[in-house]
Amino acid sequence: MEEILTITNLTKSYGSKEILKGIDIHASRGEIIGYIGPNGAGKSTTVKIILGLEGDYGGEIKLFGENIKHNAIDYKRKIGYVPEIADVYDNLTGYEYLTFIGQLYGLELEEAADKSQSLMALFGVGEAYHSRISSYSKGMRQKLLIIASLIHNPDLLFLDEPINGLDANSVMIFKEILTQLAAQGKTIFYSSHIMDVVEKISSRIILLYDGKIAADGTFAQLQASNAEGTLERIFNQLTGFHEHQEIGEKFVSIVQGGQA
Amino acid sequence: MTDFKTLQLLDKFRLLFVKTGIDYDMMRKILHIKLTMDERKVPTLFNQNKKKGDQKYGYIKSLWIYVLFGLVLIPLMGFGQNFLFQMSISYAMIIFLIMTSLISDFSSVLLDVRDKSILSTKPISAKTINAAKFMHIFIYLSYLTMALTAIPLVVSLFTQGIIFFLLTVFEIILINLFIVAFTAILYIVILRFFDGEKLKDIINYVQIGLSLVLMIGYQVLIRSFEFVNLDIVVSFHWWNVFLIPMWFAAPYELLLNGNSSLFTIIYTILAVIIPIISIALYIKLIPTFERNLQKLLNTSKSKKEKNNRLRAFLLTLICSTHEERAFYRFATLMMKQEREFKLKVYPSLGFSFIMPFLFIFTFSRSGGIDYASSMSYLNIYFSMMIIPSAVLLLGHSAKYKAAWIYKTLPLKNYTALQKGSLKAFLVKLYLPLYSVLSIIFCYMYGIRILPDLLAILVTSCMYTLICYMTISNKIPFTKPYDEIGDAQGWKVMLLFIPIGMFVVLHYLITQIAFGSLLYCIMLLIINLLLWKIIFKR
Repeated sequence: MEEILTITNLTKSYGSKEILKGIDIHASRGEIIGYIGPNGAGKSTTVKIILGLEGDYGGEIKLFGENIKHNAIDYKRKIGYVPEIADVYDNLTGYEYLTFIGQLYGLELEEAADKSQSLMALFGVGEAYHSRISSYSKGMRQKLLIIASLIHNPDLLFLDEPINGLDANSVMIFKEILTQLAAQGKTIFYSSHIMDVVEKISSRIILLYDGKIAADGTFAQLQASNAEGTLERIFNQLTGFHEHQEIGEKFVSIVQGGQA
Repeated sequence: MTDFKTLQLLDKFRLLFVKTGIDYDMMRKILHIKLTMDERKVPTLFNQNKKKGDQKYGYIKSLWIYVLFGLVLIPLMGFGQNFLFQMSISYAMIIFLIMTSLISDFSSVLLDVRDKSILSTKPISAKTINAAKFMHIFIYLSYLTMALTAIPLVVSLFTQGIIFFLLTVFEIILINLFIVAFTAILYIVILRFFDGEKLKDIINYVQIGLSLVLMIGYQVLIRSFEFVNLDIVVSFHWWNVFLIPMWFAAPYELLLNGNSSLFTIIYTILAVIIPIISIALYIKLIPTFERNLQKLLNTSKSKKEKNNRLRAFLLTLICSTHEERAFYRFATLMMKQEREFKLKVYPSLGFSFIMPFLFIFTFSRSGGIDYASSMSYLNIYFSMMIIPSAVLLLGHSAKYKAAWIYKTLPLKNYTALQKGSLKAFLVKLYLPLYSVLSIIFCYMYGIRILPDLLAILVTSCMYTLICYMTISNKIPFTKPYDEIGDAQGWKVMLLFIPIGMFVVLHYLITQIAFGSLLYCIMLLIINLLLWKIIFKR
């Protein structure tokens, strides 16, 4: 299989604080990679580095066989990105925002307009196409972000909590979209804290813990080398977390007026 | 989305951008989107009432005040040969106005963090993004500068000749570059040492200061033309080097008055070199700036709440119930921390501090005041002009949507909230203002006016209640600011009438012996009763 993304010994520090302590990732065409880890493990930092939002890193990142430091701009044309907390120019309308983003990726205005209108309609938010984004509900906003990340037909997708706020039916549509995209040879990085979803859609799972890769493999492989059961269990085990019961009990006792 | 004339004009300079390696088409698209968004910054509610064509040029329409200030420059720039003095003053004004307006209106452009995540993830070079940002600010600064200087420039062209005119145009361009670079470097320094919240606070205070200066400046300007004296001779001192406007005044001496002293030459060189150096420095620092910009997103360090026993005790005296106290604290925090509230209220707070003095001195010019017996201390009533607009604004908030919590709370009615917020306003904003005023007035008029001052304080409490009844906010901090319409504005104006009635009443009562003391006691009783009755419902 053709290798799309190669990360070798990636390190990154903020001052004296080491966020990434040497990460190696190889991703191929058509993979859906569940990219998980506790808060602050360095997941979004990795993605930000790949997208060029953060500089000053150690190690090497190769996209489509080329080091991203050598041509720092053009490779972005092949990437789509749904950030977890997304800033949007929300005083624009859906039409205005999507065509703007499309044009930034080098699409013609008409092409971007046609595409975004059909995609919005398919996602069931066609009637909001010409209203201001500030009036959108959370789910509508999320759909807009998903469309904005796909409008230029990218080969590599980074999705951070993409189904946040979507209703169950839309989630089903979205999962189907991901499967279809992967079948077409797109590579997808899927970050989420909802383990059930990651477990079901990923063809491979990478777990980041404390700036290092703690596990990398298919769900079956992870089960074999760690605890059996759900991905949630494996997650708990790999991140060394066992006190959930104790903390939960304390929490409830304080809610009921007891002592800490 | 319609095309912009400004951008069509910019198209003429396309080659200039292409030559420097900027993707012009991309930059134009970004600018187009930015200008479209700026057009919509005008409060949405106003838009709906007006015709479609009206909402355009909202920014340009707001420039009339700068045109007005530009008129002051006419005598300075248009007449006289005392260039060093005249032009120093002119440039001081120009620099001050442009810089403060840049900080208050365009900081959002310089500090837009959305740009980073939306634009930087796209295949656009950083150079193009930065060029778009710079041009965005540049477009607005040109509007502003033109509004300010166009009329004086035309006058000077006829009175001072072509060389003066060209030199001024050239220097104004230099000054604009200098100001943008200087402000950006200032932000870089602030962001280097403080977090984003601090920077937002500083910007907020500059905005407040600017509105206050414009408000008072407008009042003072009208009265100040007689003070303009063009015969002042300015000579150079070494410390003048720090007076930036003077640099820009020096070339006139050199070129037009033929003064080629050492200082003139040094200043002329500074006027040209420093803007160029600062812009070069800015371009060099852009990457650092962008990196530090990330700080704006970071959460600021948390502060520990101080617990003050005495304050807690005093609070129980002011607010009787638990709910009311909670809301008093909340309203205090909102007034202290919501930047938009501060921006709207604090300038008028400063204004109502100045107003009494403005009136006293205006009248005192026509004839001397005998402070020992004068009644002109009644001018302190003018400080009450803050109350109606403050009470009106208490009903509004930028975060009005957060008001859903009141619907979910087990509250019988909202009187405690209203009472708490009104009291918080009186204690935290009005009382400090009034106390300082009172101290100054006591110093001027003697302590004989103490009973009167007390009576006026009680009147303000009562007046606050009248304002509250007239404006009739349902729940504090629950309406968006742009819902303040003309009707509300009229109410605020109408509410100035009772102030006049209070003044007349007070004046009549002071004619009776011990009148003010009795008046004070009477007011106190009425006041207490009124607060009880009104909030009973």
